[in-house]
Amino acid sequence: MTLSATSFQLVADLVRRRSAIQLTPGKEYLVESRLLPLARDAGVDLETYVASLRTARPDVLTEVVEAMTTNETSWFRDGAPYQAMRRTEIPRLVEARRGVGRLRVWSAACSTGQEPYSLAMCLAETLPPAMSAEIVATDLSEQVLERARSARYTQLEVNRGMPAQMLVQHLRRVGTEWEIADELRRMVTFRAHNLLDTPPPGPFDVVFLRNVLIYFDLATKRGILDRVLRVLRPDGVLVLGAAETTLGVHDGWERVTIDRTSVYRPLGAAVTTIPTPREPLAATGTDGPPGTTLPRGPLTVHRTGHHAGTPPTSVRPTGGAAR
Amino acid sequence: MTATTVELDQVHAIAQEVFAAMVDGDLGLLLPWDGALPALEDAIVAWVDLHGAWSGRAVLVTERPTAEDLARALLDLDDDEAVSPADLDDAFGEIANVVGGNLKSLLPDPGTLGLPQVGAEVPPVAGAVRAQHLPLSWRGRLLVVDVWVNPGGTSTTSTTGGTR
Amino acid sequence: MRALVIDDSRTMRRIVAGTLERLGFETLQAEHGQEALDHLESGEQVDLACIDWNMPVMDGLTFVTKVRANPAWRNVTLMMVTTESEHGQIVRALAAGAHEYLIKPFTPDAIRDKLDLLGLVPVEEPA
Repeated sequence: MTLSATSFQLVADLVRRRSAIQLTPGKEYLVESRLLPLARDAGVDLETYVASLRTARPDVLTEVVEAMTTNETSWFRDGAPYQAMRRTEIPRLVEARRGVGRLRVWSAACSTGQEPYSLAMCLAETLPPAMSAEIVATDLSEQVLERARSARYTQLEVNRGMPAQMLVQHLRRVGTEWEIADELRRMVTFRAHNLLDTPPPGPFDVVFLRNVLIYFDLATKRGILDRVLRVLRPDGVLVLGAAETTLGVHDGWERVTIDRTSVYRPLGAAVTTIPTPREPLAATGTDGPPGTTLPRGPLTVHRTGHHAGTPPTSVRPTGGAAR
Repeated sequence: MTATTVELDQVHAIAQEVFAAMVDGDLGLLLPWDGALPALEDAIVAWVDLHGAWSGRAVLVTERPTAEDLARALLDLDDDEAVSPADLDDAFGEIANVVGGNLKSLLPDPGTLGLPQVGAEVPPVAGAVRAQHLPLSWRGRLLVVDVWVNPGGTSTTSTTGGTR
Repeated sequence: MRALVIDDSRTMRRIVAGTLERLGFETLQAEHGQEALDHLESGEQVDLACIDWNMPVMDGLTFVTKVRANPAWRNVTLMMVTTESEHGQIVRALAAGAHEYLIKPFTPDAIRDKLDLLGLVPVEEPA
């Protein structure tokens, strides 16, 4: 029951086109084990199933690609953006939204949920008692959204980028898996959304749009960034993937360097559709366009000596290894 | 009192994760065994004892050549590299250790894990029943994971002899 | 950078040491906590210890406790690598002074992620 070379190549090409993941020769067993259940469901043998992919509907192809692609999703991906959120952006936005009492966050390519739940952990640990947060988490695939809503992760999944302190503070064991705490789950709403469509209702204070623009051409990227700009507060923040930038793509953004990462804020008065008045910040901190009293331009944040992602409250004894 | 607190799908999930992470690298090649079970020739068995709310034993059974290939996968050896008996016991035993350790964490109270042991057959434990039986196919070869439970709740204390 | 891999399984030591070496570490091995302490006491410079929990002679939790009790070893990063995965066990290990915790089974990527969290930046893999 070994897959023919032609069939293997067909699947490898499909996967590479859709996900940039390379299936090199030697991984035939991988394709067989992953696609056999799908072939069985379809009531045909594997070769027949793969042959049928030449003329299959898009949703069938998506199913195949999803079955074949490794889950690369990790928690607090790349680390530095979440540090920047904790140390700079969340405190800044909290100050600016005291009158509102709430921050709104959009996780725009949320996949199986690690990103929005990572954000929820950051917010739970840094928001003052008077502030709440709402996270809207969207993805194209209803399948991954269902997984995300279940808020359950395997041991292998929680091993990826989750500081042990966070694990014990924010998750609990359920059978062989780990489940996100209820108070964090309540912060997140998952819904299906196509980035080519009108965004979920804003305004948002924070948008995470990470590692998804790469799948689109330049014109489409611009359109997506336009739509994000429309629902982001003028003093809000956009966070992209580690290797991504708005430079050369969309000129409505200002790049701000915070420690080892860059975030993006709407440039000046480029936004025309958010109906908030453009007045100087009132001392009472009402819901105007705050932030005008804050320094603009590059910020530097001093690195402190503790581990990345270590929460302020800790079960660790004080003292010990200085890092 | 229930005889077991582990479900078959949990045993399966654990086995899949162990193989995905440590044997096959990222994606698992472990499938449910399809069809009749062949008799195992030159069988090798690895087991760990679990002591907790219930006492039990996690057992892995396969044929020696399959276990050798498992060891090669774990130790990153070439297909034609010889696997020493000591390496074979250590590697196969470690798989049983990790499977057993994860099963232990399903027990309601924190339990303890014995040292892994490897042999040609498992010494029987009086009074134990086979609570879960999971025949699997690893690259087309039979590997069985069994979970035995001692419903009395007392320790199965087999010898924990056999240093690694 | 140097790592001390502590596990009573030769297989597991090889897997962990192999991954760390590919990430640019020099590695030492120990079969249990006492052997590991002997390495430290003999003056070996160790930046990272990867520690199994269940070992004969001296278990991982005891080793962690002893290391954290000695100011001379305050710069040794301690990461448990173990099948012990109950919530309470992880809390115990962190309370005893472990800096990180990796649950078995793990992938090489998971080790790398933990090293990133710990600020022990690995060298890029050779091409």
